[in-house]
Amino acid sequence: MRTPAFNVHTPNTLDEAVETARKLTDREVEFDWISGGTDLIPNYKWGINPKSDVISLAAVEEIRGVSMYRIGAMARLQDIVESEEVHPLISEAAASVASIMIRRSGTLGGNLCLDTRCFWLNQSETWRRSIDYCHKCDEGTGADCRVIPNQNELCVATYQGDLAPALICLGAVVHLASNSGRREMPLEKFFQLDGITRNVLRNGEIVTHVELPESSSSMVGSYQKLRQRDAWDFPEGGVAFAVHIDKKGKISGLNMASTGFESIPRSHKDLVDSIDMGAEWGLEAKRLGAELKRTVRPVLNTWFPPSYRKKMASVLAKRAMEEAAKRVTSA
Amino acid sequence: MASDKKEMVGYRQQPGKLDFTRPGSGGSSSISRERESDTIPESQGGDLPQPWGPHRHDDLITGRVIGKPTPLIDSKWKVTGQALYGDDIRLPGEIIGRLVRTDRHYARVLSIDASEAESLPGVLGIATGEDAPHAFGVLPVTKDEHAMAVEKVRHIGDIVACVAAEDEDTARLAANSIRIEYEDLEPIFDIKDGLKDSENPIHDRGRYHIGESNVQKRVFQRFGRVQNIEDSIASHESSWTFKGVNHGFTEPHAVVAHWDPRGRLTLYTPQQVPHYVHRALADVLEIPMHQINVYRTFVGGGFGGKSDPFPHEMCAAILARKTGRPVRITFDREEVFWTNRGRHPSKITMAIHADDEGRLSGIETDALIDGGGFASFGHVTTYYNGVLHTAPYEIGAFHYTGARVWTNKPASGAMRGHGAVNSRCAVEVGIDDISEKLGVDPIDLRLANLLPPHSATITGFRITSMGMRECLERVRAESGWDEKFRNMPLGKGIGVGCGFFISGSGLPIHWDPNKFPHATVHLKIDMDGGVTIHTGAADIGQGSDTVVAQAVAEVLGLPMDMIRIRSRESDTSPVDLGSYSSRVTFMNANAAVSAAMQIRSELISAASEITGVDEKRILIGDRRVYSKDDPSNGVSYLEALHKAQEDRGALLASGSYRTPPMGKMHKGAAAGLAPAYSFSAYVAEVDVDVETGKIKVEKVWAAHDCGKALNPLSVEGQIIGSCHMGLGQVISEEMRYGRTGNLLNPDLLGYKIPTVHEMPEVVPIIVESNDPEGPFGAKEAGEGPLLPILPAVCNAVYDAIGVRIQELPMTPDKIYRAVESTCRKGGFESPLDLPSPRLVLTSLSKTLKERGAQHSIRDKMRRLESEIGDYHNGALFGNDPETPPEELDPDWHVQVLPDEEYLEEPGLAGSAWLHTERRHRGEVE
Repeated sequence: MRTPAFNVHTPNTLDEAVETARKLTDREVEFDWISGGTDLIPNYKWGINPKSDVISLAAVEEIRGVSMYRIGAMARLQDIVESEEVHPLISEAAASVASIMIRRSGTLGGNLCLDTRCFWLNQSETWRRSIDYCHKCDEGTGADCRVIPNQNELCVATYQGDLAPALICLGAVVHLASNSGRREMPLEKFFQLDGITRNVLRNGEIVTHVELPESSSSMVGSYQKLRQRDAWDFPEGGVAFAVHIDKKGKISGLNMASTGFESIPRSHKDLVDSIDMGAEWGLEAKRLGAELKRTVRPVLNTWFPPSYRKKMASVLAKRAMEEAAKRVTSA
Repeated sequence: MASDKKEMVGYRQQPGKLDFTRPGSGGSSSISRERESDTIPESQGGDLPQPWGPHRHDDLITGRVIGKPTPLIDSKWKVTGQALYGDDIRLPGEIIGRLVRTDRHYARVLSIDASEAESLPGVLGIATGEDAPHAFGVLPVTKDEHAMAVEKVRHIGDIVACVAAEDEDTARLAANSIRIEYEDLEPIFDIKDGLKDSENPIHDRGRYHIGESNVQKRVFQRFGRVQNIEDSIASHESSWTFKGVNHGFTEPHAVVAHWDPRGRLTLYTPQQVPHYVHRALADVLEIPMHQINVYRTFVGGGFGGKSDPFPHEMCAAILARKTGRPVRITFDREEVFWTNRGRHPSKITMAIHADDEGRLSGIETDALIDGGGFASFGHVTTYYNGVLHTAPYEIGAFHYTGARVWTNKPASGAMRGHGAVNSRCAVEVGIDDISEKLGVDPIDLRLANLLPPHSATITGFRITSMGMRECLERVRAESGWDEKFRNMPLGKGIGVGCGFFISGSGLPIHWDPNKFPHATVHLKIDMDGGVTIHTGAADIGQGSDTVVAQAVAEVLGLPMDMIRIRSRESDTSPVDLGSYSSRVTFMNANAAVSAAMQIRSELISAASEITGVDEKRILIGDRRVYSKDDPSNGVSYLEALHKAQEDRGALLASGSYRTPPMGKMHKGAAAGLAPAYSFSAYVAEVDVDVETGKIKVEKVWAAHDCGKALNPLSVEGQIIGSCHMGLGQVISEEMRYGRTGNLLNPDLLGYKIPTVHEMPEVVPIIVESNDPEGPFGAKEAGEGPLLPILPAVCNAVYDAIGVRIQELPMTPDKIYRAVESTCRKGGFESPLDLPSPRLVLTSLSKTLKERGAQHSIRDKMRRLESEIGDYHNGALFGNDPETPPEELDPDWHVQVLPDEEYLEEPGLAGSAWLHTERRHRGEVE
């Protein structure tokens, strides 16, 4: 594998960064943001949408830092794992990413903006040529989707970031910046549309940080991840669950979110709202698992078959709920 | 001390006499140490116990290195980053080669347009199939590969052309700009389709073509008494699917080709079998072999995957010849998978029968194996899938049908445990199942059905040393088997598996074993006293250089730092068959011992001449040659050496090894024939998550009979490494093909090699059965240890959750599916309610324990007594042990062609015999 040549821009401040992006856009130069590079560079090597220019965020001080209520986009995943301040649910999810070497390079922003993945996409160009290409990355070839053929619209490549569901459960708000200003939104609203579009980021816009509500510090949760091997592998399905404990020690809020099942991570707030707090927790956990299984729509483009991933959604949800309850008790 | 002697002056001008090393010794320590008596065998008056009797090499033991944990002699190169692997070779003026690989599954190449590539600045050479019309292949009987496609491409990734350019980017650009016009042909991916007649068979074997099908090789074997099967009281039957696996070695293939100014080719390549590349290069390049030097670089893992001569090696040589520049080609990981030669995807039907005495009355196997696009080692693999499960058990009948078919996928080939792994797994799981049906402990069943030492298997393999029983007894005791088996809660399980493997193939592929040796080792010792070993054995990380050096060091009583190895270049090494079929320790170390013995006797003669002690009373110790009766009366190694060198200079010796005549005479009798066999038994303990189907192997007790651990450090490393590799195949590794026939995971993220998290604790247990022909008693330890881990894990999973699945890898989704269906059938609402299997012993259990105990005594006698009669498989069933059963029993089959009755209802692979070869159809001349 050979990384194609590209120009690197290294702005020192956020303003410089978005200004660099604007200039490139004006010159009609295509570019990518690069943070840790653990997702982008392998894709470049595979010839998946490489650009002539990349803007490195390595020197932008403002978007680093890990604290209880604010995590910078350039925070390294391993720093999140090791941080004493950050919410344990976030550390737990971060600790499950890939391997320690990748976590030392990979960042929060990169994990949130992780490109979607698919057996028919994450291949070399020669390989993709053998299937007459893939419509996510081989524009201009008239390629179709190879997972669900005969439709040229929807991309079903799978989103496999681990952090999103944990952050969604805790009510995280994502902050974006571009040359035309800043905006923010609940993290679940950040992800949009299909496997090609992935999220709401406009050209030249970046994630600067995520912010957690103060209430998150009174939340207890668990992240459950399905994968073949306990290192390296992306989630074939992941479920985060969190409960909010009020000052009296009573449960006053619930949230659940999933990743790895579809093209974007999803909040399952509607499902957990149906939980009967009076009923036996174990039975509710089982019932909710069964509900989640009916909700998720995995396709055949990752290691495990979709039928299995669907069934495991119920086990993951059940275990996340049971584990969270255990942690509530021990807290 | 030599310098004490009075010098003779006046006869001729004496230059300043130079001590080659510190007084008396040589080596890094200046003092010769005494022999340690606990390293000297009992037979030589030492204190080393020999429970398995004496060995022919006992008198060569000096107590230096054999049996001691010895770091590999090349390890410091590796850990300091100084080892040069294939891609590390840099020659002045080198350019980069890149292969043009097809994007078609199966197609006829109509035209190749390289004009655009040629016009690119920096492109120096382009070659296509026309540049290399000669076919090659690892086996002389199946040469079906070309450097580049000559007529057809046979799988995605098959090579069509190659380019050489000043740099890698240009080479890649040029490769992408070559336009190829194809006529697509109908590809086949399903292994079963390979059995059918085809309009365009993937290869044409001419008059030997089997029907019009894609069957490359078929085997039929029926041995023993069929009546034994009919008398069975319990039978196991199962149909297995094994996915293909790849070696997953660290170093991708890489090669550098250089034609020197004299017109000779040097090929730098990480090869397991340099000699076959040497031959293939001569064929393809149409030059004599003496014009080629094959230089083996460090090999970053081989495992069988670097033992074929490869098209890219030919391409590099062709491009280098065309451009006059050294050409380097290095693979991407994807290309490694496209080159493959991994374990064959297989469909195996296994039937095992047992009679009312708990004897294994028959094994019937039908194995259909998927060869992919080329033959590779497949001819042999087809045999190995059957014949390598005719031991360690004594069986009443053996029926094997095997077939290998071509499909439009990367070629399968030889991989660690070659041909034996999948069918061994099926056999051992079958034995577990049949034990359950008989109501006996599976270890008891095995112990009561083992062939004894010095016996012949049903197909005529000569078993010599045999430590199977000890392996089983050790793992049973150390794992706490008797308390745990069928006795643990749901999700926790323990299982056993066994295996045996060849220690070198008895038949050299390219020549008559009666005429030429398997291995030759040269020694050269000059005045400095250091020993240079010239050998062609390829160290692929397994430690072959170290073991050969150990053998020489031991015989000559030298420290390892006085031994240096030159094993890299065919120009300087004697021909060696290479590192495959676990032959190197057995054959090459034997050759090394025989060479060292010559030097040893010269040293002893010289010492005798100096000291006047009778040669028969002289011992070699640590850098000293001295009188056995008066150790103070002796000379240093260097003194003896210099005496021996008088009038002739450097000492030279050549030793070789060849296998004794053995085996039966039927067609295919040589496949699987080896001068010795290793044995192993593993117990694995697992934890299965019944809700997700995920298996965690917690601990493995791994006993392996390697005859004698020449280097226990290496043997343990091989056992642990084998566990890891076999574990991959059983829990997660597979080359997965999608619905379009594309390989979906040609990368190390998608191809799931177990990580440190999946790796269990392995307790290596070395059993030393002291093989009479092995060097110092040694047998192989590189491949056999892989076999038992698969069935041990499968059987442990059954013990944990009561579910058997006959598909590897047992990924969680497959386990879960089986759990679900068991729940459905049993009416269990949740997998957590499943019962764990329990064992209720029957009266047969006692019979087996008694027979096992008797056999244990029998085996000890047979391994110690010098006068023992023959023992042929079949004696357990009442035949005369001393006579091959077919000679006395008219119902005893030795049949290698199917009869009409069989063909009326053939097995899956057996149906390959429904085709008639073209030459028998009278259609071709």
